[in-house]
Order: sequence, then C-alpha cells, then structure tokens
Amino acid sequence: MRRCLSLVTLTALAACSSDPTTPETVPAALSLVSGDGQSAAAGALLPAAYVVRVEGPFGGPVPDVTVQWSASAGSLSAPTSATNGAGTAEIRHTLGGAPGPQPVTATVTGLAPVTFTATATLVPALVATVPVPANYGLHDTFVRDGIAFLSAWNTGVQLYDVGNGIKGGSPAAPQWISTVVTGSTNGGGARAHNAWWFHNPTNGHKRYLFVGQEGPGSVGSTSSGDIHVVDVSDLTAPREVAFYHLDFAGTHNFWMDEPAQILYAAYYNGGVVALDVSGFPTGDLASRERARIQPGGAANTYVWGVQYAGGSVYAGDMESGLWQLRFTGTAFTVVGGGNNVPERWGSDLWVHGTHAYTGTWGGLSRNGNYGNAVKIWRLDAGGAPILADSLIIASIATVSDIEVSSDGKLLVFSAEGGLNPGVHVYSLADPEKPALLGLYPVSTGVHTASLADIGGKRYVFAAKNPSSPALLILDITAFAN
Amino acid sequence: MAAAPLAAQHAPPGATFAGQLVPALTRVDPIPGGDALAELRVVQPVLMLRAARGPWRLQATLDGEGWSMPGGELGPGVWGEGFVDRRHPHTYVHEVMFTGADLLGTHDGAAHVSLSAGKGFAPFGTDDPMSRPPLRYPVNHHLAQILERAVAIAGVGTGPVLLEGAVFNGDEPEHPSQWPSWSRFGDSWSARLTVAPVSHLELQASVAAVHSPEHRPGAGPDQDKWSASARWDRPQPDRRTYLLLEWAHTVEADGFFAFTSVLAEAEVRRGRHRAYGRVERTERPEEERLTDPFRSLRPHLDDAIVGITRWTVVTAGYGLRLPLGTLGLVAEPLGEVSAGTLVETTGSIFDPAAFYGRDTFWALTIAVRLSRGLEGHRMGRYGVFPRTGPADAGHGP
Repeated sequence: MRRCLSLVTLTALAACSSDPTTPETVPAALSLVSGDGQSAAAGALLPAAYVVRVEGPFGGPVPDVTVQWSASAGSLSAPTSATNGAGTAEIRHTLGGAPGPQPVTATVTGLAPVTFTATATLVPALVATVPVPANYGLHDTFVRDGIAFLSAWNTGVQLYDVGNGIKGGSPAAPQWISTVVTGSTNGGGARAHNAWWFHNPTNGHKRYLFVGQEGPGSVGSTSSGDIHVVDVSDLTAPREVAFYHLDFAGTHNFWMDEPAQILYAAYYNGGVVALDVSGFPTGDLASRERARIQPGGAANTYVWGVQYAGGSVYAGDMESGLWQLRFTGTAFTVVGGGNNVPERWGSDLWVHGTHAYTGTWGGLSRNGNYGNAVKIWRLDAGGAPILADSLIIASIATVSDIEVSSDGKLLVFSAEGGLNPGVHVYSLADPEKPALLGLYPVSTGVHTASLADIGGKRYVFAAKNPSSPALLILDITAFAN
Repeated sequence: MAAAPLAAQHAPPGATFAGQLVPALTRVDPIPGGDALAELRVVQPVLMLRAARGPWRLQATLDGEGWSMPGGELGPGVWGEGFVDRRHPHTYVHEVMFTGADLLGTHDGAAHVSLSAGKGFAPFGTDDPMSRPPLRYPVNHHLAQILERAVAIAGVGTGPVLLEGAVFNGDEPEHPSQWPSWSRFGDSWSARLTVAPVSHLELQASVAAVHSPEHRPGAGPDQDKWSASARWDRPQPDRRTYLLLEWAHTVEADGFFAFTSVLAEAEVRRGRHRAYGRVERTERPEEERLTDPFRSLRPHLDDAIVGITRWTVVTAGYGLRLPLGTLGLVAEPLGEVSAGTLVETTGSIFDPAAFYGRDTFWALTIAVRLSRGLEGHRMGRYGVFPRTGPADAGHGP
C-alpha cells in the first residue's frame, strides 16, 4: 500500500512539475519562436516562416490551439493556423509593395499577442552579370576611371571597361580588356585577392596596379601572400614588374595615401605595412618598407583591412577590433582604439568623416556570436574611435565588406551565410542609426561590394560567391536620399 | 618463418555477394556548442559484388549512407568532405573496379602483373576503416586513405613484394551522388610498396601527390602524402589476432600546413567473442564552419583555416558474433567507447574549450552489425596482393 501511495505521489508530482515536453491543454502563454527580423524585397515572400509557440501553465506545449494572424501589409499564407504536438504554429508572409517595416501580429484568445516585424526593401537593379571562372571565383573589384579590376583568384586580375571608353564598355555592358596572372607562392596559383590602381598626383602617372595575393593562412596565427605590382600603362597588355614579400605573413586589403605615395597594406598577423610606392617600383620592394606594426601585439593581431583618413591610419583587426594609428614617415604609433570588439571576430572597415563602420566575421562563432553585426564608431576630435552603436542583422552570418558612398549618404555591405546573404544598402541620414533601404539577395553570398559612380549613376560591383561565381553590377541610383 | 608468397591470382569463377548494415546508437559528449547528443543511425550499409572469370575480376560496393545518414554520423574528431565532427556519407557507388590479374601469365616468370581501373581506392595507406575492427572511424581517415576516385592502377608483384602505382583524379566527392571529375583524371598519383617478410606480417609504405582535393574545379592547394604501416593478422577458424601500427603525414600548400597521425589498433577474437581497441593521435584542420556547426564551407572561398587541432583518442570495444541460420548471416551486438582530449596547436583562433565547452570528450556506441560474407574482407586492395593470412580478400571470399 505504501508503494502504491508513493507511485501516486510521484505521478502527481511529475504532472505538476515544469516539463517543456509534456503536452498540456490550457493555453497560458504565447511566445515568438523564429522568423522575426527578416528582410526581403517589397512584394517578396519572406525566406522563413513566422513560428510561435503556445504553452501551458507548466511550460508544456499545447496542441490544437488556433492562432490568428494579421498583417499590416502584404498577405499571409492563411488567416489562422493551429498548433502542432510541439505547441508551435507557423505562417508565411508575402511582403506588401511599400518599403519599410511591416509588422504581423499573432493572437490567441485570452493571451497577450506577439508581433513579428519584417522590413520590405527596395531591390537594386541588376544591370549586368559577368561570369568568373570557378577558380575560387571573384574576391574583390576595384573600380576607377571606368575600369573594373576583378581580382579573380587563380584566374588572375581581369580588366573590364565599364565606362572608360577604351573598349566601348559600360556598367550594363562590360567589355573585357585583358587579364594578368600574377606570381604564385605556396603552390595553388596567383590567388589574386584585391587591387588598387595607383593614380600618382605627383607625376600624373596611372601606371601601377597593386595586387594583393591571399595565400594559405590560419586565422589568428599565420598567413601568406605577396603584394604584386603590375604595370598597366598599356591596359591591354599588363605585366608584373615588382613584388613585396614578408616572410612570416601575407597581405589582405589595401589603402593608399596617394599624395604621400604610401601604400598601407593590411598584413593579417603581420599587422600593417607602409610601403613607399613612389617613382618606378621594380623587382623586390623590400627596401621600400617604411614601417610595420602589429597593433594588438604578436599574439593579438590579425588585420583584415586598413584605411587612411583624416591624418590617421585605421586598422580593422579580426581579433582586436578597430585601431587608430599614426604614421610618422618612418614608424607607426598606436593613437587610440583597440581591443574594442571582444564578442565577435572583426572584418572590414570604412571611415567617413566623423564616423567609422566595421563588419564582423562568422566563419567561427566567438562567445556564441556570428558575424551579424556592423559596429558603428564615432570618432572623437583626435580621431579615436568610440563605439556608438551596433547594427545587428539577425539573418546573416558575416559582414565581409563594407563601404560608405562618397557623399556619405549610403552604407553598403556584403553579407554571407544565414537567410539574407547578398548586398545590403542602408541610409546614413543619421550616421549612427543606419536604416535599411535595400537588399539584393544572393543565396550563395556576396564576398565584397564596391561602390562606383559612373555616368551620373551609382553602382555596386558585387562579388557573387561560388558555386557560380560572377561579378554582379547593381544600379542603386534610386537609393539616393 | 618464410616470406609470404603472393596470393593466388585466379580466384574461383563466379560471383558472390556480401554486405552489412549496422544500426548504431551513438552518444557524443560534447558536440559543438557544449551539449551532448545521441543519434540512432544505420551506418555502413553496403552491398558488395565480387565476380571472377579467369584473370578478370570485378569488385563493386554500393553504399547506402547517402540515404541512411545524409547528415553524417556523429563521431568525435572525424572530418572530411565538408563534414566536421560527423563522418561524411560515402558515395552511393563506393567502388566499382575491374581488374586483370596476372595478365602476362608465365611470360613474366614468377612475377605477377595486374591492371585495375574504375572508381575506388587509390593505392595509398592502409585498409579502409570500414573493414577494420572498430566501428567508429578514426580521425585520420583523410590522411591515411584516398577513396572514391576514378583510378587506374598497375601492380607488379614478385615473391613477398608488391609495388603498385596509380593515377587518379584529385577531387574528393562533395555529396553522395557525385561522380569523380573525369576531366581531372590523371592530375594526381600514388604509389605503394607492400612487403610480407614473414607469414601474417605485412609492411606498407606509400606516397601520393594529390591535386586540389578539396576544391573540385582545381584551384585549391595540393597535398603531398606519406604513409607507413605494419600489420599483423593471424586469422584462424576460431580465433584471430590482429595488430596495426600506422603513421600518416600530409602536407598542404607546399608545406604551409602539415598534419600527422600515429595510430595503433588491435583485435583479439576467441570463438564468438571479439575485443578490440585503438589509440590514435591525429591532427586535423579546423575550417570555417557554417551556422550548422557540423558543416564547413564548400566550395572554399580561400585557403585559410582557423586552426589545427590534435586529437588523442582511445577506443575500446567488444562484440559477440552470433551466426543466424544457414545463410551465412552474422549478427554482432557490440559496444564501443571512446574518450580523449584535443588541443589547438598553432595559436589560431579555434579554441576547443570555447567551441566544445571543454577539451575532453567521450563517445559511446551501442550497435548491432548484421553482415554476410565479410569475414576477412579488406577494402581498397585490388589486383595482385601478398597473402598474409587465409582470409585475405580483394580476390573474392
């Protein structure tokens, strides 16, 4: 008898305890499970369903509950849906035609409603697609004077006329000019990653293209790859004339202080390198190295990108965040910033006026976070970065490239992974509160997005990731605000 | 003891079928994120055809893992072909190899020349783990074997010595229904020297140059691979003693990355009872992961990794072999436990303690292997072959 009583007691206790898997019959709470915060083109079906959960007083699922859905704009796949055995119900939302936030509310009688908010965006107009061989595809595009330099990994650097006139090309009809395959190290080919066409104001020359080679590396500790200098005085027959090699590190993104004839190169674990590019660089440029710094120290430096602005050199480091440096002509010094993005891995940067924007990388989570954030920095009077805000984009995994338009009105970045990879365009009407304007979705992701103003229009040159890599040229002129 | 001669070159004519499937419940603690996870999967479901007529042989293996475990099989440290901490499903056509054995007959004296071609294993390294005592795959699978390639093999054997050379396509498959990239056939090669100095003992050394294995279009870094092993196998009607010592080394991108493995594996069988164990220390690359932490990015965007980890894994298992009826079917309930540690070796950003919650792990598998005709099967050997025991396969059961 005692055993029977004990069993009854245990059963009753089990029934009364909190168990999120034991079905219940009385709805007590309605909660949002997934689907909030999505973005898609106005009029498009959102990529993921809205999912809610109805649970009972003890946290268990309540099946067969009718959930009523209402949309402020657009249409829903059904006006109601019923919860399943897990207590969840879902609905799909096709956005309305007007850009902006479009909330949808889920209601269960007697319970507090929950609201999902999706953002309908403008869609950049695709004006041209330039396929790139799948030798890892296209990493970056540098556009200047109507010439697009496509850094297409082992295919080399491809030169296209996109408005220069040399081949009659335009953004809508790019015309191939030539291809140069730069030198190989560590096996595996040219690995052309990025380029900068140097316009030397001191002599008027537009003779040299600096090409970054991204060799093998292990993020946080090692890297490889050289800077290759290509003579493009004849755009139809470019040829490599010089290189710069650092024994223990490899290069990534560039910036150039053209009046000073200094190339700043991000060098991953090597930090930042300042290279004298004056005159006629030939052969090994080792003697032209003017300074080098690992801003976070040897064990805490892996610089993704660098930019010269307002007399400072800014370095975006994957490990240690955004740094402000000063180059004296013979040395770098750390002026400000650093160790300021501890929760995510950093990626690219862009500095414009009194603000800077940095991306985040999600090839590996850091403290449980992927690279779904744009960090917004206010620069103080001395140019030191102070974190003003973080723009969290819930449906992407990496912000791989970031740029502000020359007029400071638009923030454009490329995104990889998650539900909304592609090209994202934001308004900077308030530079500390970017507002989503447009999204060009690319399911495989976009690795870089470069802005160029050509013929009175504004374009994004987007590097579409494999398996069918291509340069996508998007017209975002209509986004001007 | 005398040196072991080459195996008989003319198998009995006809065709035989063999096969297995293994319902397995595996629990791994931790998985990425720090939790534990248990899964029930049917692993290693294979159907094999072996046919012989005169000097001609056909070896074909169909593998159903693409259906039974499309998301891979849980296993601490296992990796490859876009899967991490899960073993990838094999391709549906795991191997289909045609062989002409001892093609020159008596014209080459005591030597034996064979030619093999088809889809299968390149002559490199040790036997595929599917035909070895533990159920769980070792971490070093992609350092110690080269599989599922379009391959042409020439083998020359004399006495206890066998030399094999092959050309094949370097690309690994990316999903179960993918065939080798025929346009890349011949861009990679391997060679293996096998010596059986005494009965039951087999020594092996091999080398391979594999072009862009992890990037199918061919832009990825190349690998240079080496392997050496000693294998002692003495199967008898009611008992078996088996020992394997293995070293494997792969360098990638002209030596920028290097991965080394040492492994020891043993089995003792007495009657129906089988006990086995394995100890390995293997380095593997840590690649960018997707938001699904068991998958890495394919195709690659660059040649970067996020670290190199060294896995030390100890595995022990026991199986009870139970014949079922007269059809040659065998049911083997088995239990297998693994435990170990891992460390990151390069100072890169991959932190095992952060990624898994700790730097130790264990795994438990309870399974039943249902098989027929696989006794002594050695997967990945074709053509002439030094005989090291009565159950040597590669030539039909």
